[in-house]
Amino acid sequence: MSTDRDPNLMALFAQAEQEFDEDTFISGVMNQINRERRKTVLVWSVLGVFITACFAALAVPVLSAVSMASQLLPLSLVEVETDLLRQLVSPINSVAAVVAILALGIWKFFRKIFR
Amino acid sequence: MRLAPGLFAKSPEAVLVGLSRSGNREAFAELVLRRQTWIRNLMRRCSGNAALADDLSQQVFMQAWRTIRQLQDADRFGPWLKRMAINIWLQHQRRNDPLRGADEHLDTNPAREDTAGIAMDLDRALATLQPDVRLCIVLSYHERMTHAEIAASTSLPPGTVKSHIRRGTKRLQDELAAYVEPAEEVT
Repeated sequence: MSTDRDPNLMALFAQAEQEFDEDTFISGVMNQINRERRKTVLVWSVLGVFITACFAALAVPVLSAVSMASQLLPLSLVEVETDLLRQLVSPINSVAAVVAILALGIWKFFRKIFR
Repeated sequence: MRLAPGLFAKSPEAVLVGLSRSGNREAFAELVLRRQTWIRNLMRRCSGNAALADDLSQQVFMQAWRTIRQLQDADRFGPWLKRMAINIWLQHQRRNDPLRGADEHLDTNPAREDTAGIAMDLDRALATLQPDVRLCIVLSYHERMTHAEIAASTSLPPGTVKSHIRRGTKRLQDELAAYVEPAEEVT
């Protein structure tokens, strides 16, 4: 592809190349990089402290919720007398199964809408 | 930050890029040292304003530091940096669109016969061009990019790039008649 350049202008552009004070410029760039790095460290530190505080504050309620869920989820929905039958239907005859089916349904519903 | 003198002075650029990718700031400072004259000259030709050019050049290197991990081929650092510089200049132009040229106040000192004088006269002549024409001219003459490369970098159609360069060249020849002998028909 042609470039359509005037050789005289090219020479002029080459002559106009200047040397600059490099120390000040490099210091400026590196100081800015250091400032940005300090800022990043500060933001992550604050975020870390905040997350730790959240964990500390929510530890008790979360643990009791988990304990409640572990008691609630295995509960049978329908009482089955026969041992063998009870074992056979246990994967679907529990609160956990209902929750799992609901979660699966909601996920499929959202996928259908947003895909 | 002071550079340890000569620490990376003899290191190949690809090595410096590799070290910079892993967060070595001294290696990156050496890259800045090696490339700053080129980028600052490019920005100066684009903007015509020394302070603005240095500010934009600093932005180029800052962005390079932030995104150097994305550079796949360490040997392509120069073209990658140039593309970044062009993008930063285009972003600056878009931000200042209603005030295009308002931030470009050129020195009006009389021309001198040294490099600074030539640079000032050249910048003054470039300032008479439309921003897009000026960018195409700078990329063509300063960066020696082909029309296709300029079109790819600026998202301008190749035909527009070609006409911008033809028009800009004619204008610069008129403005810089004292330096430039009348050129034969440019094809």
